[in-house]
Amino acid sequence: MNIHINGKAYSLGHEVHISVSSALTLHFIEPQQSTFAVALNGDFVGKADYDTTLVKNGDSLDVLLPIQGG
Amino acid sequence: MMSLNIYGQQLDSRLLIGSALYPSPQVMKQAILASGSQVVTLSLKRQNPAEQAGQQIWRYLQEIVTEVNGHLLPNTAGCKTAKETVTLAKMSREIFQTDWIKLEVIGDDYNLQPDPIELLNAAEQLINDGFKVLPYCTDDLVLCQRLYDLGCQVIMPWASPIGTGKGLMNPYNLETIRLRLPDATLILDAGIGKPSDACLAMEMGYDGVLLNSAVALADNPVLMAKAFGQALQAGEQGYVAGIMPQRQTAHPSTPTLDTPFWHQP
Repeated sequence: MNIHINGKAYSLGHEVHISVSSALTLHFIEPQQSTFAVALNGDFVGKADYDTTLVKNGDSLDVLLPIQGG
Repeated sequence: MMSLNIYGQQLDSRLLIGSALYPSPQVMKQAILASGSQVVTLSLKRQNPAEQAGQQIWRYLQEIVTEVNGHLLPNTAGCKTAKETVTLAKMSREIFQTDWIKLEVIGDDYNLQPDPIELLNAAEQLINDGFKVLPYCTDDLVLCQRLYDLGCQVIMPWASPIGTGKGLMNPYNLETIRLRLPDATLILDAGIGKPSDACLAMEMGYDGVLLNSAVALADNPVLMAKAFGQALQAGEQGYVAGIMPQRQTAHPSTPTLDTPFWHQP
């Protein structure tokens, strides 16, 4: 299956779905050490739901971090 | 002077300040501390956590709010629909551990004017979800009234479009909002260019001012931050002291009784 994380395409072979936790490991070095929040297809996913929320073919994850703002 | 009330939180400073556009993180920290502000705005964007730049800024902002016993105010910059805004607000709440949200829903890319329809929609959803919403809006009285009626205790009309530094475009509108919403916490947000703009807002009876570019883009951001802090105090004291009414005709300040010889016939 193919998914996007922050607009970057990832191909995961014959997987049918993976958890948000697993998907994050594709993108992060040490996700547990970072301050971030996640949205799946535009909907917020809380940290408590990373293991039980499934990412499927064509899905898009957004991983956002703090930056300066006005 | 009285304190600024944001959803029951009492703050000594009436200045809310942004964390963007400074020449360096060090200057940002110095300027924010010099301003005396206890509320610092920030945002969320796509980044790879392996990149350290964002983490460094985040550490700086945490240090600042700890040092001033202040508050982070995450914004929803870049959102154009209520759905995007609600999602981003929830992400911000999880990261920053605050239910305060500076609500921005942009309706036009040219002047970054808020979309009033989406703004009201987003505000209603977020209030129902327990957020304390601080909406950035235009200086439209009815829009401000509707936001207040929804439960927004703080309303933040613009002075002029974000980043323009044009100051108060429509003083009449802003004065009318103050007059018609006497119990709302009114914070002038966006378009402030110089300290006298902030002073004028406070002289109108506004409760505070939120700005970023005017300090960050100054030749000396730290000095400008101090200037804004003093301007807000001057404006607030002027408002509390009671400004004299304007008069159509001149009135001599010096007593006219016993005027000198050159006035004698």
